[in-house]
Amino acid sequence: MLSKKSSLLLLGPGLLFILIGFCLPALMLLLAPPGISSGQVFARLGRMLQDPYDLTIIGRTMGLGLLVTVLCLALGFPIALLLARSTSRWSGMLLALAIFPLLLSNVVRTYGWLVLLGQNGVIGQVISAMGLPAPQLLYTESAIVLGLLQLFLPLAIVSCYSAVAQVDAGLDDAARGLGASRTRVLWTVTLPLSLPGVIVAATLVFAGSTTAYTTPYLLGGSNQRMLATQLFNYSTVSIDWSAASAVAMIMTVLVFAVSAVSAAVGKKGRIS
Amino acid sequence: MTIRTVLRLPAGQPENPKMTPPRTVQPTTGRRPVLGALAIIGYMVMIVPILFVVAAAFSGGDSLQFPPESFSLKWFAAAASYKPFMTALVSSAQLAVLATVLALIIGVPAALALQRSTFAGKGWVQGLFLSPLIVPELVVGLALYQQLIAGLGTATFTALLVGHTALLIPYAVRVTGASLALADPFVEEAARGLGARPFKVFTSVTLPLLRPGIVSAALLSFVTSFNNVPLSLLLQGRTFNTLPVSMLDYVQKSYDPMIAAMSTLILAATIVFAFIAERTVGFATIFGGINK
Repeated sequence: MLSKKSSLLLLGPGLLFILIGFCLPALMLLLAPPGISSGQVFARLGRMLQDPYDLTIIGRTMGLGLLVTVLCLALGFPIALLLARSTSRWSGMLLALAIFPLLLSNVVRTYGWLVLLGQNGVIGQVISAMGLPAPQLLYTESAIVLGLLQLFLPLAIVSCYSAVAQVDAGLDDAARGLGASRTRVLWTVTLPLSLPGVIVAATLVFAGSTTAYTTPYLLGGSNQRMLATQLFNYSTVSIDWSAASAVAMIMTVLVFAVSAVSAAVGKKGRIS
Repeated sequence: MTIRTVLRLPAGQPENPKMTPPRTVQPTTGRRPVLGALAIIGYMVMIVPILFVVAAAFSGGDSLQFPPESFSLKWFAAAASYKPFMTALVSSAQLAVLATVLALIIGVPAALALQRSTFAGKGWVQGLFLSPLIVPELVVGLALYQQLIAGLGTATFTALLVGHTALLIPYAVRVTGASLALADPFVEEAARGLGARPFKVFTSVTLPLLRPGIVSAALLSFVTSFNNVPLSLLLQGRTFNTLPVSMLDYVQKSYDPMIAAMSTLILAATIVFAFIAERTVGFATIFGGINK
């Protein structure tokens, strides 16, 4: 154990840095951006929450975020489960393959969808080779969902994997031995026991996909604006700082609310 | 002990012909068609787009087209001799190294204090150190732009360094903290009990315990900073650009396969990086700490 004095010495510089270099600027942006009063920010926020166009963007951001979260869990949990329960010598390789994209640049990963979905892209070529009219694939909500799914699936797998790996495989065997079907074991034993990790995964994916910039920028273009691309536009193109602060406020509140809810749910799950 | 060993009848006990024979339990890792299909879809979504980027990079044509007209390495040559990319590559590397070092200097002592002491409000302090993980990066970028660049007239690089360091501190605190949590604090007590001075305890006991955590945090911080877009996008200047941001700018301007070639080079570098990470500390250590 460290003395009070030495832990203060160890924490002090870091606290100072975080407070001055991070917390203070972020609070100023949300409540009092340069040359603008907080009254103006809240007035802008109020107008934004009544404007149909802005509401569409908020709705799209939350809706796509939710869809991506559900898809990430639907694909990520099976991968985590199969990898955690596999005895094959390939499972280590496959786990590494699932983690690897976390190290790879978002721009590189998202660019792949431009190659696939673009005007002369692979999918468009295949569709027109079949004699069908080539549909608009890029700059659609589906393109954004695919891009975000690719981006956040590794994160979902890693969180689910560490949760599933902690569940004793003997419990699965016991339930099977007592006559439960595989599906029943999954829904009544494995999934409930790994729920805390699944909740963490859902939170990370939702928070990430509602604030991601690169993907909606490259795959959604100006047709399918999301809160992040809107914030960027207000802050660098139209330089409307009260609108930028209002969007920043919506994004921050959204992310904090989801984290708080997930923390509360996680705590409740642990007690019961 | 698995159910198979539980169900095996004790040795020597005569088998009762009337008793139903123990049900043979199939291992849980057998064929699972639905889960398997979902897993294959998942892997395809993660991997297939990257494979097509690589394929596009070797194209001989002037636009992204499939199948490519011809095979060539010309876009690799073009990317490697494109000045903005190479300048941005150096800038990104410098920024990532400096931000990683700063984040470790701040984060490792903080992790140590958070793991090895108790005080009132510790939860709050911990939350404060992890808060850059939660606040959206674009929000941090705009906040630093307003206060540092527009407000104080700070240089682009300084503002970027502050932003990236703040972003990386949670990783440093969490990953080193996780490895420290696994280490037995009584080892340090024992060293102290045997007469080692606090500094000696730190250098010869605590630091070696921390080493895998520090290496993991450093690797993770470096890639996180190197790949960051939102912060760099809002804080970039006319003279200073990071590689991902200059690639985004290029995508906006042109539809030719040079970005595919540059992406393939980054992919190759990332694979080398991943091998080094796996050999030195292992993926599990690096990413295990994040979800603790």
